[in-house]
Amino acid sequence: MSSVFGRMLRHEWRMLTADRTVWLVSIIFGLLILYAVGNGVSWVRSQEVVLDSVEADGSRRLAQLTRALDSIPADAPPPAAFGRDPRSPGSVGNFDGAQFATLRPQALAPLAVGQTDLLPQYLRVTMRSKLTLAAAQELENPSNLLEGRFDLAFVVVYLFPLFILALGFNLLAAEREGGTLGMVAAQPVSLAAHLGAKVVVRGGFMLGLAMVATLVGLLLNGALPGMPPGKLALWFLVLAAYGAFWFAVAVVVNAVPRSSAANATILAGVWLLLVVVVPAVAGTLVNTLHPMPSRVELIGAMRTASNDASARGAQLLAKVYGDHLDLAPSGAMTSADFMSRTYAVQEEVDRQLAPLADRFDAQLDRQHVLAARYQLASPALVASFAFADLAGTGPTRYRHWREKVASYHEAWQQFFIPRAFRHEWLDASAYPAIPRFSYGDESRSEVLRRVGIALVVLLLPTVLLAGYSVRRLKRYQVAV
Amino acid sequence: MLEAINLTKSYNGTVALHPLTLTVRPGEIFCLLGANGAGKTTTINLFLNFVEPSGGVARIDGIVASERPLETKRLLAYIPEQVTLYRHLSGLENLEYFSVLGGQSRYSEAELLGFLDHVGLDAAAARRRVGSYSKGMRQKVGIAIAIAKKAKALLLDEPTSGLDPKASNEFSTLLGLLSDQGVAVLMATHDLFRAKESGHRLGIMKQGRLVSTVAANEIGHADLEQLYLQHMRD
Amino acid sequence: MIGAIVRKEIREIARDGRFRVAAITVLVLLVAALAVGWRAAASAHAERDAAANLARSHWVNQPAKNPHSAAHYGVYAFKPKTPLSFVDDGVDPYTGVLAYLEAHVQNDFTHRPAADGTALSRFGALTAAGVLQVLVPLLIVVLAAGTIAGEREQGTLRQLLSVGVRSRDLAIGKMLGLGGALMLLLIPATIIGVAALLVGTDGSGSGSRFLLLAAVYLGYFIVWIALSFAVSAWAPSTRAALICLLGLWMVNSLLAPRAATDLVRRLHPTPTALEFQRVMAAEQQADSTGRTYAQYQEAFQREVLSRYRVDSVADLPVNFAGLSLDASERWSDAVFDRNYGRLWATYVRQDQARSLFGFAFPFVAVRALSQGLAGTDFYHHREFATAAEQYRRHLVRVMNDDLAEHGKTAGFQYMGDHALWSSVEPFEYQTPEVGFVMAHHGRDLAALGGWLVLGLGLALVGARRVRV
Repeated sequence: MSSVFGRMLRHEWRMLTADRTVWLVSIIFGLLILYAVGNGVSWVRSQEVVLDSVEADGSRRLAQLTRALDSIPADAPPPAAFGRDPRSPGSVGNFDGAQFATLRPQALAPLAVGQTDLLPQYLRVTMRSKLTLAAAQELENPSNLLEGRFDLAFVVVYLFPLFILALGFNLLAAEREGGTLGMVAAQPVSLAAHLGAKVVVRGGFMLGLAMVATLVGLLLNGALPGMPPGKLALWFLVLAAYGAFWFAVAVVVNAVPRSSAANATILAGVWLLLVVVVPAVAGTLVNTLHPMPSRVELIGAMRTASNDASARGAQLLAKVYGDHLDLAPSGAMTSADFMSRTYAVQEEVDRQLAPLADRFDAQLDRQHVLAARYQLASPALVASFAFADLAGTGPTRYRHWREKVASYHEAWQQFFIPRAFRHEWLDASAYPAIPRFSYGDESRSEVLRRVGIALVVLLLPTVLLAGYSVRRLKRYQVAV
Repeated sequence: MLEAINLTKSYNGTVALHPLTLTVRPGEIFCLLGANGAGKTTTINLFLNFVEPSGGVARIDGIVASERPLETKRLLAYIPEQVTLYRHLSGLENLEYFSVLGGQSRYSEAELLGFLDHVGLDAAAARRRVGSYSKGMRQKVGIAIAIAKKAKALLLDEPTSGLDPKASNEFSTLLGLLSDQGVAVLMATHDLFRAKESGHRLGIMKQGRLVSTVAANEIGHADLEQLYLQHMRD
Repeated sequence: MIGAIVRKEIREIARDGRFRVAAITVLVLLVAALAVGWRAAASAHAERDAAANLARSHWVNQPAKNPHSAAHYGVYAFKPKTPLSFVDDGVDPYTGVLAYLEAHVQNDFTHRPAADGTALSRFGALTAAGVLQVLVPLLIVVLAAGTIAGEREQGTLRQLLSVGVRSRDLAIGKMLGLGGALMLLLIPATIIGVAALLVGTDGSGSGSRFLLLAAVYLGYFIVWIALSFAVSAWAPSTRAALICLLGLWMVNSLLAPRAATDLVRRLHPTPTALEFQRVMAAEQQADSTGRTYAQYQEAFQREVLSRYRVDSVADLPVNFAGLSLDASERWSDAVFDRNYGRLWATYVRQDQARSLFGFAFPFVAVRALSQGLAGTDFYHHREFATAAEQYRRHLVRVMNDDLAEHGKTAGFQYMGDHALWSSVEPFEYQTPEVGFVMAHHGRDLAALGGWLVLGLGLALVGARRVRV
């Protein structure tokens, strides 16, 4: 039997390659992949240029400040309250020394742009409130953002199923309509085996094509050498599982005798449902059932708190010094106390807004948990999330990075604000202690776990559909 | 070899085949005659398990078709009204593929060409793509497939309709050869003349019933036509 | 004759089980999208109204302070939701919802709703526009693929042609029939849309926009009906017609827009925020002629002194700080005008280049028109951002003028009061008239019109070629 199956595979391969439309379809598919990979590579390169210059800018500023500090004579007067001075904590921590926290793209980033075009990949960290971090954004035409990028993940998630369905919508229906099904069904070979041979050949062909085109795309763009083979293999595994799911859908539709036009209609409907409608409904449900607290309200509340705190500025500063005698500057009050008062007000605003900001973060967390759950509604979402995870452009890594930036921001404030309160000028010994940002990436095993779950989630319906098809095919009525 | 015992089939309450009991012995050619929709094709489809019986059984060499279809199909060969083959493949390649599917995977190319030559397709024709074949040539490949499969029973559904008299005659001759080798043949046909010429027994079907069975050598051409028309009128 | 064909088509389609399932699904999605969109728009509207009122009260209730401090304190501008945004929220999720209007700086609109959303949001939200642009054409395609090819396969075409139907009548009848069946679905949806608009917070003045929106979608559906008819007449089988139309549909609504966007971005690259800020910072230091800001201020001082015919700042009858601040605003305003002007011109070039694709893919044209009419395209955003910036300049100027006029003796110790704050009227913004949309979307309108002519032409040619 196995040798018969081998011969069937060879036969199917010949039938496939004899079909001119198959060549047309595969050339288009291959070109789309090549284009998408090239696109992704160029996007990541442009991103890297920005991040490089941002990081270089931070280092250059600190170097400049250090040089400027060295040139100040020991007996120079203390820095002015509002002036730019390498010795003033406010001047360095808010303006001249402000550093960027960056999120560097990972090796597979060219394959899935994810949200990197929408969410800022670097944040300027200053002594100002952490609420200011939320306003950061990259410039882009909103119409372009609405459309999204033409990357490999798009080609795979949206178009790969279409190509699979184009090859698979009439697996049995074509033979029925062409008449050969009767000849085949009169032979002692089960329809499941016959259909199986078709799927194995077509599936292998499409998967091989997708893999080869991806690798060629990376090679042509000079991005192949840096690719970690393990992650790339996982990417292809998710690709295979996602493809297998769509083949299983095609098989299930073919397991009932229908015209190929009817099959095409049904499969187009299934595709539309799983790739377009369900994700849109899932996103809308998350937003409708668990809406984000409004940023607009948050801004209003911030203003109210800030007015209130400003009115009590002197009082607040006194309170800071009262609570922390160690922070009180020695000597008489100077105009620098105006700045101190600003920090005291800001601390108070942050303190007052903390519950609101926490509520915001909690809701954001809840939304992401929900989104992670709702993605199970569609294999397209599961695959898309897994691809973004592997590329390091997914929501989980981004949020992990934002957490690290938040703690870096806290460390930054902790370094500068108490010094500002104490009127303690920065000297050569303080500069090397200025906190620098380095992002220790998410743990690998965490990513692997999520991708593993995605694989299981993709394969489970595939197996169920295949099992159902085998049973259904036993009752397939060749003649009606 | 071919046995139908109280075999029935109905579609959504419409009876297509009333209980049919019929036996075709090895070497016998049994022709089913009747108008369109008389139940001839249904009978053949039931032996092939292309449709599930509503009642009764169809047996091939004692094995029930609906229970172990893969085993019974090993014993059967089938030639439909239109032998449809893979257009992109040659006659030879089609024969080879169907032989493999039929469980005969050890034929050499010479042997396969031999089968085709036997049914009247020379090597040049055998290597051409089926897309260019006439209907007669395709029917011949169909017989070659049946011969190569070493089937014990042959099911034919209007195999000669649309063939010119010469091709039709050649077809009958081939059928005779198979029957001489002990193959049981069940053939549905409209062609009274051809049935009388090549069949051993003739059954007339009407509205899903086998209404009459006669031995071919016990009836003349004119009487057969008379009998047929009489049944059609009632 | 045509009437009979139309009646037969509608009857046949309405009895088709597939149509019922598909039509009910689409209708449910459409109604759900309208409801969700209406709710989101209404709550966003209420929220931004409240926020704008709060911002205003923050402004007018400032304690006595130096007017320039007040200008630094500034106000927030909140982008309003347009009445029709519940049909098509366009680029709204991708534009910031608020801008801080303060002295010296033109801030960008920040807090894009999509950036706070989940990764799901990039798959697109369920909007009425999405249903109309993507799902309804698919419904048309599936229903219409067999309109001629199917009759040919069933053999009824033979009958039909044997009785001597004129090809033009056949085409018109079939298309009207398809359109009629579609109306069973679209009329209830339109009524719901009108009701939502009337119940909406402020739908006044949106009537003509709504009518045009309905007309644009109607035109889009006619294009699809005509194309489907033409393909069905020309195709050898229903299957071939269906595959061809599904392919068209997918390229049109899926592949082409993304590819177009990619291309326009390559043609007219968007600068990075870093680059944009760097250029702007450099231009704040010195303008294109090499004149520095310090030189500019010096020249301004000389000019003021000569205007008042005095020798020193101290002799001026006005507070020079106020004048100087005003001059600095004018210097930086020029920088902002140049830079935001360049940036927005890039966006406009991108959008206009994208509109060219509308001539090849009607989806692109319809989407742009729909966003334009709903007031949720980039042009409307720019219009609002410009108005907000004008208001900022006005507010800062009032503060600086007051400082110049009254701060002569007290200098920065001079305090403005409630009367001064209230003298700046609140920020009011009127969504532009329909003419604004037409002025910016001429290309898209031409593309849709072109498609209408082409589609109907193909349908008539196809009808003439109908053979058994």
